[in-house]
Amino acid sequence: MEIEKQVQHLTERLIYIRDIFGDKHNENIRLLVSKMEDYRRREPSLSVRERRAAVLTLEDLFGFVEKKLEAELSPMDMVRIVRHPQRICLRDILENVYDNYTEIGSMGEHSIDPSMVIARAYITRRRGKKTIDQSVMVIGQEKGHGEEFRNGGSVKPWGNAKALHYMKVAETENIPIHTFVFTPGSYPIEDTPGAAQQIAANIYGMSSLKVPVISVISEGGSGGAEAIALADRRIMLSHGYYSVISPEGAAAIEGRLRSGQRASQELVEKCASQMQITARDNLRMGYVDHVIQEPNLGARPYHYEFFRNLRQELLRVTDEVSISVRGLHLFRALRLRSRRKQAIKGLDFEKAYVRWNLPSSAQNRLVNRRHRKFRRLSLHAAPDYTPFSKRLSSLWQEIGWGLYTHFKYDMLQRQQQKVAEYVDEVKSEWTLFFDRILAPWRMLMSKIRGAERKVSVETERQLTELSEWDDNQEQRGGNWVYVSAKARIDRAVTCPNASTHGCLDLWAPDLYGEFAGVCTNCGHHFPMEHQWYLHNVFDQGSIFEFATDVEASNPLGIEEFEVKLAEAKRKTGHKSGCMVFEARINGVRLVVAMLMAAFRGGSVGAAEGEKFIRAAERASRKRFPFLAYVHGTAGIRIQEGTNGLIQMPRCTMAVRRYIDDGGLYIVTYDTNSYAGPVASFLGCSPYQFGIRSANVGFAGPGVITETTGILVPPHYHNVYKALSRGHIQGIWDRREMRFNLYRALLTMGGRNLYYR
Amino acid sequence: MLDISAVLEEIKASPYTELSVRAPHCGLLTFPGDLKPGDPLSGPVGEWKEKPGTLLATLERERNERPISCEEKGELAALNRELDGCFVEAGTEIARYRHFLSREEVLQLILKRALHLFIAPERAKYYFVPAVDIKFKVSGPKAVTVHDGDELFIMSRMKREASLRYSGPEGVIYAVYFIYNQNVDAGAPLIGVCPPDLVPQVEEAVLRVQTEWTERN
Amino acid sequence: MTNKEHKVLVANRGEIAVRIVRACRKLGLNFVCVYTAEDVESGHVLLAREAGGDKALYRVSSYHDANELLAVADIAGATAIHPGYGFFAEDYRFARRVSRRESKLVFIGPSWRVIRELGDKINTKRLARSLGVPTVPGSDKPIYDEMEAERVARNLYEFQQQQGIEHPVILVKASAGGGGMGIEEVHDIDLFRSVYRRIRNYAARQFKDEGVLIEQRIRDFNHLEVQILAERNCEGVVHFGTRNCSIQSTGLQKRVEVAPGFDSGSVAYRFDADQVLADITMHSLAMAKEVRYDSVGTWEWIVTREGKPYLMEVNTRIQVENGVSAAIARIKGQPGVDIIAEQIRTALGEPLGYTQDDISFSGVGIEYRIIAEDPDNRFTPWVGRIDAFSWKKEDWLSVYTHVPESSAGKPYVIPTEFDPNLALGIVWGENLAQARERGKLFLDNLVLKGANSAGEPLKSNVEFLRRKTEQILLF
Repeated sequence: MEIEKQVQHLTERLIYIRDIFGDKHNENIRLLVSKMEDYRRREPSLSVRERRAAVLTLEDLFGFVEKKLEAELSPMDMVRIVRHPQRICLRDILENVYDNYTEIGSMGEHSIDPSMVIARAYITRRRGKKTIDQSVMVIGQEKGHGEEFRNGGSVKPWGNAKALHYMKVAETENIPIHTFVFTPGSYPIEDTPGAAQQIAANIYGMSSLKVPVISVISEGGSGGAEAIALADRRIMLSHGYYSVISPEGAAAIEGRLRSGQRASQELVEKCASQMQITARDNLRMGYVDHVIQEPNLGARPYHYEFFRNLRQELLRVTDEVSISVRGLHLFRALRLRSRRKQAIKGLDFEKAYVRWNLPSSAQNRLVNRRHRKFRRLSLHAAPDYTPFSKRLSSLWQEIGWGLYTHFKYDMLQRQQQKVAEYVDEVKSEWTLFFDRILAPWRMLMSKIRGAERKVSVETERQLTELSEWDDNQEQRGGNWVYVSAKARIDRAVTCPNASTHGCLDLWAPDLYGEFAGVCTNCGHHFPMEHQWYLHNVFDQGSIFEFATDVEASNPLGIEEFEVKLAEAKRKTGHKSGCMVFEARINGVRLVVAMLMAAFRGGSVGAAEGEKFIRAAERASRKRFPFLAYVHGTAGIRIQEGTNGLIQMPRCTMAVRRYIDDGGLYIVTYDTNSYAGPVASFLGCSPYQFGIRSANVGFAGPGVITETTGILVPPHYHNVYKALSRGHIQGIWDRREMRFNLYRALLTMGGRNLYYR
Repeated sequence: MLDISAVLEEIKASPYTELSVRAPHCGLLTFPGDLKPGDPLSGPVGEWKEKPGTLLATLERERNERPISCEEKGELAALNRELDGCFVEAGTEIARYRHFLSREEVLQLILKRALHLFIAPERAKYYFVPAVDIKFKVSGPKAVTVHDGDELFIMSRMKREASLRYSGPEGVIYAVYFIYNQNVDAGAPLIGVCPPDLVPQVEEAVLRVQTEWTERN
Repeated sequence: MTNKEHKVLVANRGEIAVRIVRACRKLGLNFVCVYTAEDVESGHVLLAREAGGDKALYRVSSYHDANELLAVADIAGATAIHPGYGFFAEDYRFARRVSRRESKLVFIGPSWRVIRELGDKINTKRLARSLGVPTVPGSDKPIYDEMEAERVARNLYEFQQQQGIEHPVILVKASAGGGGMGIEEVHDIDLFRSVYRRIRNYAARQFKDEGVLIEQRIRDFNHLEVQILAERNCEGVVHFGTRNCSIQSTGLQKRVEVAPGFDSGSVAYRFDADQVLADITMHSLAMAKEVRYDSVGTWEWIVTREGKPYLMEVNTRIQVENGVSAAIARIKGQPGVDIIAEQIRTALGEPLGYTQDDISFSGVGIEYRIIAEDPDNRFTPWVGRIDAFSWKKEDWLSVYTHVPESSAGKPYVIPTEFDPNLALGIVWGENLAQARERGKLFLDNLVLKGANSAGEPLKSNVEFLRRKTEQILLF
């Protein structure tokens, strides 16, 4: 029996190896196969003893070959390891790492989303002679060794919503959260609450959770991963991958394939290694904090030693985070540090030195640290070529603003408000008092004079003669400062709604000139370049650009990307796809971050993220409202890999800081806005508006059909649908953008545009 | 009572309609080079009919090319090749094609004889009153029941609008025969109403068309 | 290019198309007409075919589609385009497109800047005020501030009281609105604020502009017009007298127009009528010169019962009723003035060839608009077939119509797409009494018969016109 089991086990190991390597390393695989067959053939003739010996030899051989192959693993092999049904899954971890657990809201396929598993678990530790159960909230994607209903760990929006809900529960309960990332990516559907909007809500929520969050990444696929991966410490399994897009997806884009076509194996392998998606790569770039070594060729459920290591590491890291933010931690921190060495020697962490619930002061420190940690990431990928002298002067300016606003808003205004309120009260009293006393006198006077009231000559003049014209309030209806170059072509243009709405062809000079690219019959908005908005929305000459020298780069050294980037820079005259500036609208000052579709599809990389964050920080420092005008974005710039992906949490955290400081953050979407940015720093705004005819969503129709098999109806992503689904808060006409924005600033921001 | 068998036989005798494609507006006409009579044509396809049918011609006006696509599945009967490269006036016939009736269309033909038809009293444009219009948009046809005397239409002509009341038996609106923003001649049917006592007959018609009519591909 | 080489695209239908074609022929110009499927039987199509052959006629999908008109203009080699009235006549964008596209055409009408300037009512009012031309008391710019609005309203209220108006009424309008939308009357000044807020919110929602206009509501007035004609280079500007268009349907559509605007010789007025006519003519001319007006146009005025004139708006097009002014005008003593021909001639660059001193007026003209409609039922248009249509020819009568005379033998089905006008009958008399007599005679002898699909006989406004003839120029 025992031997049979071992043989069975070896067979599975063989299958696994074949699955991982496919056609590669054939000689090694053939060796294993022939040895296995050899054994099978000989088996009946062997005694029990001989069998045992033969199996041991086989096991040794397997171990030897696996070790050999381990050294030659390519990034794509790792991707296959991570996706293999034999790979450890969340259930294995719950069984083997924690001492006890209760699954919350799921029982096999009976769950709102079986691909997301939540469990309350505890770890039992000893303090002196007592045992202590330390609770944690465990949240993670469950692939369930290939169970169909788990959807491969691809979480639907409501699964992510559930995860966020229980993170808040953990916050209330003041227990740490362990998240386990086992996802190829989020399930890309827009059904309420919407893939993008929910991920944005998760990231926004996680950025300021007041309990320690530790995440463990096995398969970190893009936005789906970010939905639960924002953590104080991120641990990565040595054979895992963490990437902005699947290697196949990258290859499809790289090879410019149309939907349905498949990229060649070589191209996929090449993309996988170029994208730098492995644990080692991510550790080097700083996007994960530690890597846990897995057994050769990746951890499988029978690798008990690995689970022990994982448990030790989780304990250590959770302790470390908790201690580091407590007030009196010097001694224990030292102790912890020395324990790390002990751990290497094989000493364990089962002795509890640390409580995991945090006092409120430590909670604040925890959140601040988390923000600082992410703020520092990816800076190397966004080179800032601002000359030193300029930096120095802007540093001084920043300090100046800081002091000024602190003085003006925090100290002075509060006092002023009090005084003003008091004066108001007195005034009201006084008028009431006077009215009472004077009323009879006034009555008398009006009776005497009543009949002879006359309109003065001056009044008559006002009613019948020309008045002064003041154009303060004037809208720009039709008289645009900037007119598109498309308006110079003498031709007619057909509106896409012509067949349904009976729109007549429009003359291009009218359409792109006076009509601002809007069909006068049905209101369809033709795309308009971003310059139109710069000149026609904000007060003339009020735009002041900053952070112009932060430049988009090629941090992963992707072939030929340098050239494409240079081309985009030349074409647009900008150094990145994000322009940040201060501007005025009817005299109201604000900070704007604009994503430009013309620069590599408006994709967001490290430079764009960095500029966005600086804009948010500037708005915060100056106490201006902050507008994200998204002229278009195709998502995170995949050529930057994790350097781009990390902008999702980074920028969202900047927004969170700004809003928590009391700022007003408004987002407007134009043309097409998809994927990462919408699923993070844009989608988290409470005030998102769509310019008519724009599309907003997570994944484009092609991607949805490819990954889910669902056919997508026309106009699936348009702003009206987005509004109906509750993803955005309103739809604006391009021609009225200035009016709407101004009104939004007044109605949402109040008089001082800073509502707290 | 309508004799469904007789009607079906009648339709089977000529199982197609010949449709004419006319220039929707003035312009310079060009035909795709390889199109010839006898070619099969496809109508709009896709789950939501979002992909247009076979390209029959392009019409260029004010430097704007407009594709003219086939509206129904069928077979090209005639193509006015002599117009190729010429300026054509609005309404000029460009091509003719045979469209073989689908089950749905046969059913509609039968229904048009079976249902109570409400006739347009004058040549005008007709619209449903907003309340009904919304019901249609939300729940689709067959969701609206009309009663004698209901205010149902807005009749628009000579820049003036008047309301029009439905008269006839109570029933469900089964078919709508007018097109938004297009004139309806006096005497043409506007809607087909199915009174409750007609329901069995309509159901029979549906069943028989489903079983007896084979669509040509 | 001499003017004779021009080819005019007639971008209109019906009676005006007929008149434009006739004017072109009179001037020796080529022309090309367009028509839609509905108008196959229309008089303008018959005339065009008869006078120009098939090459002078193109079928289009719609008169409203500029692309159709311009495509036809290019293929037919037209060099100028006459918009008539309605459709593109006052569309400055069309005029601009015509003059800016690659193959340019002469737009027979004012230059687009003038159309745009005078198409905006606020702008027109301010322009008038800047020249001291009287306009309706009230604001001449959008008001955005509630306090200011209330101040203007109160002043206006008191102003009216002082003028002896018993029940002053104030109009509050959305400044970006038009066509009766977003207008409310205020009878009680204390209710002003609530009305103001309602209109302001409506305007903000509907037009995205919270601006509001506040004006006196004038009641009981006569509607007068001044006919202006100016050369292309804006040098020569003349007027062709005044018209009175006060006889209207319930929907405020004109039905009878009379030239001149008042007749102090036959009718007694409470004010100096001749002085009023002189004033509005002078003001209109002054404004035309100021804006560098360069075609035909009409200055519309209202005159109150007290004889106070206020400029309402300027129509930058040839009007339906231009013929009634032509009927009483003489150039260098000669009758048979054709204002449409004058418009085409000057638009193509010819000088006027005469001055105001060469223009004189004689007698009284009355224009009747003959329409198939039911005056007893809110002037609802009647739709159907015309079987018989004829009138007795007189030398004091001109009839303009696109409806073929019944002598053609074919019945004519009234198209439902367009204005319901059937014909214009213009009579001339030496004085008001004779004009009235002849008017009645014309209407009496008019034959207009038909039936609709239900077999009901044709309904027309002939009886209404007859009845109203008695009230002409009374005020």
